[in-house]
Amino acid sequence: MFVYEKKLQYPVKIKNTNPKLASIIITQYGGPDGELGASLRYLSQRYSMPYPELKALLTDIGTEELGHLEMIGTIVHQLTRNLTEEQIKTGGFDTYFVDRTAGVYPTSASGFPWSAASMAVKGDLIADLTEDLAAEQKARATYDNILRLSDDPDVNDAIKFLRAREVVHFQRFGEGLRLAKDKMDEKNVYFLNPSFDQ
Amino acid sequence: MQMENSNPNTPVTPSTPSTPSVPTTPSTPSASCGTNAGSLPGCCAPLAFPYVPMQSTNPVRFGRMEALQTGTLFPGLDLPFKAAIQAKTKLANTALVELMALDFAIDELGLYLVTHAQDQEALQLYWSYIKLANEGREKYQKMYGPLLQTDLTPEDGYIWLKDPWPWDEGGND
Repeated sequence: MFVYEKKLQYPVKIKNTNPKLASIIITQYGGPDGELGASLRYLSQRYSMPYPELKALLTDIGTEELGHLEMIGTIVHQLTRNLTEEQIKTGGFDTYFVDRTAGVYPTSASGFPWSAASMAVKGDLIADLTEDLAAEQKARATYDNILRLSDDPDVNDAIKFLRAREVVHFQRFGEGLRLAKDKMDEKNVYFLNPSFDQ
Repeated sequence: MQMENSNPNTPVTPSTPSTPSVPTTPSTPSASCGTNAGSLPGCCAPLAFPYVPMQSTNPVRFGRMEALQTGTLFPGLDLPFKAAIQAKTKLANTALVELMALDFAIDELGLYLVTHAQDQEALQLYWSYIKLANEGREKYQKMYGPLLQTDLTPEDGYIWLKDPWPWDEGGND
């Protein structure tokens, strides 16, 4: 089960309101390569993992991603605090504001609501872990793009932390795949699916 | 890079040199590949399978505060984006940040141990950080209230409700 701890993984302290930046960063809350999709992808894939290292990797990383979802929600919330009437009309936030006010909703920056179609569960460890390697790279690239678009040092501080985690997770998923390979058919890893075939 | 050694309770970092080493041949055992490189399965790996090198065992580590500021405990995995290369943020030395740093080192070591369960030094370090974090957690709760809904705290009443929550203004002070 899950137990909530009343603290963030990394401190988020944003001094300046910036609704335009919030409307970009929301994409890591509910966009195609965001933290909601990451956590659900890993926490769902873990059920069909045949080896303890892989069950642990997907549980631990999936849980950490929930903590990242909370950090992104906090960034968006703090960027949209105490908005003035002028700020809700300008700065590209109006189309978000009309539907959600200053609530935090899982959507991509373009307005497409979070979709399970942006993630996959194949029930095959090579397919799923290879997807996870790509997912970490797509999230890393999104954080690169956020760093290109943002000049708020308070925001960038937290974004840099989140980006660094994607690199570490990529490494661990790669190592997990390697450990799994040692347990699979020596001559042909595709001979059977250890997630399904006995 | 700053290694942690001022606190006698602090786990020691390994004596591996901090200078980046030249990647070695794939057949070298993982322990000798250095900070920025890892081992591949021999010099002729099977086709049609992706490989990420295994990180060397007992890898060089940052001190826990620098690890939190960097986003990884391991200098070998510190690969920042060009737009983000600037002085590392100096995090305020609060009870909360100190606890975050300990919990982060534990998370990072725990994840490393998933794929390196035989690394005894990392395992020892993991348990010593957990001990430190348990002490830090108790201190934090006495000052600021519960982290878990079920934490016992000295204040009267149902302190779980107390503002600020982590996303509120002042929630990370």
